[in-house]
Amino acid sequence: MVLGQVNAVGKRRCPWAAVALVAVIITAACGSSEPAAQGTAVKVVESDFEIKVQTNVTAGDVVLMVHNQGPDDHELIVVPAPVGELPMRGSGLTVAEESFKPEPLGVLEPGAPGSDRRLQLHLQPGRYVLFCNMSGHYLGGMHETLVAS
Amino acid sequence: MSRSRLFQPFTVRNRRTVALILLMFALYSTLSVALSIRATGRSRHRAVVVQVAARQRTLAERYVTDVLLARDGMPSDPASTASLLSESADVLINGGEAPAVDGDDDETDLPPADGAVVRLQLRQAQLLVHDLIDTGNAVLAKESVDSLPERASEDITTDDPVQRLRILSAMTSNVSLNVARTIAVTTDENIAALIRLQMVLGAVGVLAALLLGWALIAAIRRQTAHFRSLVTASTDLVLVFDNNGCRYASQSVTSMVGKSEADLRGRAFAQFVHDNDQTMVQLACLRGQPREFIFRMRNRLGEWRDLEGHLTDLREDRQVRGVVLNARDITERVKLEEELTRHAFHDGLTGLANRALFRDRLDQALARSTRASSPFAVLLVDLDSFKEVNDSLGHDAGDRLLQEVARRFAGAIRVSDTLARLGGDEFVLLLDDGREADAEAAARRLLASLAEPVSVAGRDLTLGASIGIALHAGGPGDSEDLLRHADVAMYAAKEAGGGQSQVFRDAMGRELGEMLGLQHELRQGLQRGEFVVHYQPAIAIDTRAVIGVEALVRWQSPTRGLVPPDRFIPVAEASGLIHGLGEFVLQTACMQASQWGADGLLPENFVTWVNVSGKQLSAGHFSAIVRRALHAAQLDPSRLGLEVTETAIVTEGPSGERARDELKEIHDLGVLVALDDFGTGFSSLGQLRRFPIDVIKVDRSFIQGAEHDAKDAAITANVASLAHALGLVAVAEGIETERQLTLAHEFGCDVAQGYLFARPAPAHEVSALLAEALTVADTRPTS
Repeated sequence: MVLGQVNAVGKRRCPWAAVALVAVIITAACGSSEPAAQGTAVKVVESDFEIKVQTNVTAGDVVLMVHNQGPDDHELIVVPAPVGELPMRGSGLTVAEESFKPEPLGVLEPGAPGSDRRLQLHLQPGRYVLFCNMSGHYLGGMHETLVAS
Repeated sequence: MSRSRLFQPFTVRNRRTVALILLMFALYSTLSVALSIRATGRSRHRAVVVQVAARQRTLAERYVTDVLLARDGMPSDPASTASLLSESADVLINGGEAPAVDGDDDETDLPPADGAVVRLQLRQAQLLVHDLIDTGNAVLAKESVDSLPERASEDITTDDPVQRLRILSAMTSNVSLNVARTIAVTTDENIAALIRLQMVLGAVGVLAALLLGWALIAAIRRQTAHFRSLVTASTDLVLVFDNNGCRYASQSVTSMVGKSEADLRGRAFAQFVHDNDQTMVQLACLRGQPREFIFRMRNRLGEWRDLEGHLTDLREDRQVRGVVLNARDITERVKLEEELTRHAFHDGLTGLANRALFRDRLDQALARSTRASSPFAVLLVDLDSFKEVNDSLGHDAGDRLLQEVARRFAGAIRVSDTLARLGGDEFVLLLDDGREADAEAAARRLLASLAEPVSVAGRDLTLGASIGIALHAGGPGDSEDLLRHADVAMYAAKEAGGGQSQVFRDAMGRELGEMLGLQHELRQGLQRGEFVVHYQPAIAIDTRAVIGVEALVRWQSPTRGLVPPDRFIPVAEASGLIHGLGEFVLQTACMQASQWGADGLLPENFVTWVNVSGKQLSAGHFSAIVRRALHAAQLDPSRLGLEVTETAIVTEGPSGERARDELKEIHDLGVLVALDDFGTGFSSLGQLRRFPIDVIKVDRSFIQGAEHDAKDAAITANVASLAHALGLVAVAEGIETERQLTLAHEFGCDVAQGYLFARPAPAHEVSALLAEALTVADTRPTS
């Protein structure tokens, strides 16, 4: 079959076209890179069942560099800190995210243990709460306050 | 490379390459299938793990329900659910048999957890399960939950045991779901990695196969091209035959015959082979025997080409299945061989038979004549005045003339006759069955063929030929004799004026034999220096003073003794030796005259006279010869005189014209000219005015006859008075007596020559005479 193909290609054509084709296939099989984020880098470490982050940050563009130590998967949701406790859903096990209008300031969907993610935020001066809203995790201790000034 | 190999483009090396490629494909396929099987097996295990992990979520939620029901006194079995939860959590990490839940599931055999993340998450799930069960037990026992350990690093702030139970249940079910998701993602990643690996492996395999295939094809192509070039580009013809005739013809064949291969297929090929060779070639190509043969084929121009064929029987060879005919065009070689044969027996210039072939044919004719008493004739042809053409127009013109003559002669003879060129301008014709009448007819045809002028070097030349015929009546004979007889007859024809034929007669042989012998000796004599020059003084009749000498050549032959000039001069003239001889006399006389002058022996106006033949004058360049002789001897031209016969200068036609021109040129140099033997020719006295002449010599016959014959006396007197009238000097020759001298004086002759005064004598005797004369002259005033 290979011989037939080459015969069909032409009399004296060398197989470099085929080599290039193979190279394209191999390149396509590999991944591509993400665009870079801009702003003050703030390190956030999630683990079962705790969030570690510095208390104060300069207001403006902020990039949260989120590392999940695991072992469980974790979300990261950022909302302006309300007066008192965060509102809970009816089950009493998760925060009612939908109560933040129009939506929470920032959301990272669940990340696998060992993963690193970035969350681009524009923070007005004020207080903010970072938490994981996977079932039971908020109540299990995964929340922290960040003050932008 | 052997011929059978030509038809096997795949060499052993290339077959190995093919085998290598196939082996590589097999290895790649095996590797790929093994990887797929292993990946499928692992996926199946993972699916079971996912299933069990997902079941933990259900169990965790059921445990909460069971605990709350049991607390409120409703029937339920939280301990059993706790046991299932705990066991499943252990099995998920360490492997083993997963317990069945409510008989819904079969007991499932699990492998130990695979992958660090999965193990960590399962470990977390196990810790949460233990915290969950501890909290459940506290709820059932209505105890406080404050002091309960938090194994999974949770930080639950509530004091409500039920709320704590629900939170832990949510966390347990959550981590169980995450485990399932992690396993799924890992599986996806593994599958993606597998696909990538397969793709890379496949790509590398394809690449390697392509490269190998390309190399193989290139090798095959090279080999095929080599084969093709051997078969098609070579000038050798390659044909393959099977039982149905020609099956393949190479490009060289098609281009040679100018037909497409289809036109040569099958029996059609035979039509290009010469009729005489067809059967042989067809049989050979059918049987593969004989291996080598020569045959003729017609090319696109309709020419027959000689081919040398080699057969190779490859009927047993699966690649060929036929008899292969390789043929080479050897026409040029055959031609060359014929040419070489022809050269040995043919004349290079004219393409006629040469002397060797003629002798061969002549000997054959003699042998036949000896057996059958058949007559034949030999005609020897010599072109008249060919030498003059050669001398005046050059050898190239002479060669072209000979070629044209040969062409005409060849057109005038029968095919059965042998025409040959013996050399020079000598041709010979052998007439088989030729009698005298046939031979004379043939001679007439040959002569007639020369009637038309031959155009050479821009000039139209009319050539004559002299033909000698020797007849052989039949019976034994000698070829040498025949040729000599023809030669003699040819000479006779030439002597008779040329442009005719003569049949050999015995008498002719004797005469001409004598003449030819003399000619031979003359030539030798000239080379050996047997010729000497004698001088005969000429006397002024009134003063008796020596005023000149006539140079006369003498031949002292070792075999014949002293030969008189009238005996050998005609022979020298006929043979052309006169030129060399004349020049010798001229040079010797000039040197002698110069010597006498240097010795102070010569009186004023003394002239040395030299005889010149008409042949010498008409040959051209004679004035140059005279100039050269004068220059070599440092002799004043006025001291030299040339005696010419009247026949030499009054001849009509080109040769007479040339003689007169030459004479005029010589006279203009200052050389004196005497008309010799006047009265014996046919010139009218009036013609004398036209010629550059200073002296008239009256023939001795008139002087000697005048003693007794009044007519001779009258002629002599008239000639002398005419000479005086034209301002010329009259010389009386052959004065032997005082009486003749007196008569000559009476007739008015100015100069006398003859035995009365002096015989021709060697130079030294004349020197003495001259010295004596000087003394007389010196003493005369005193006497």
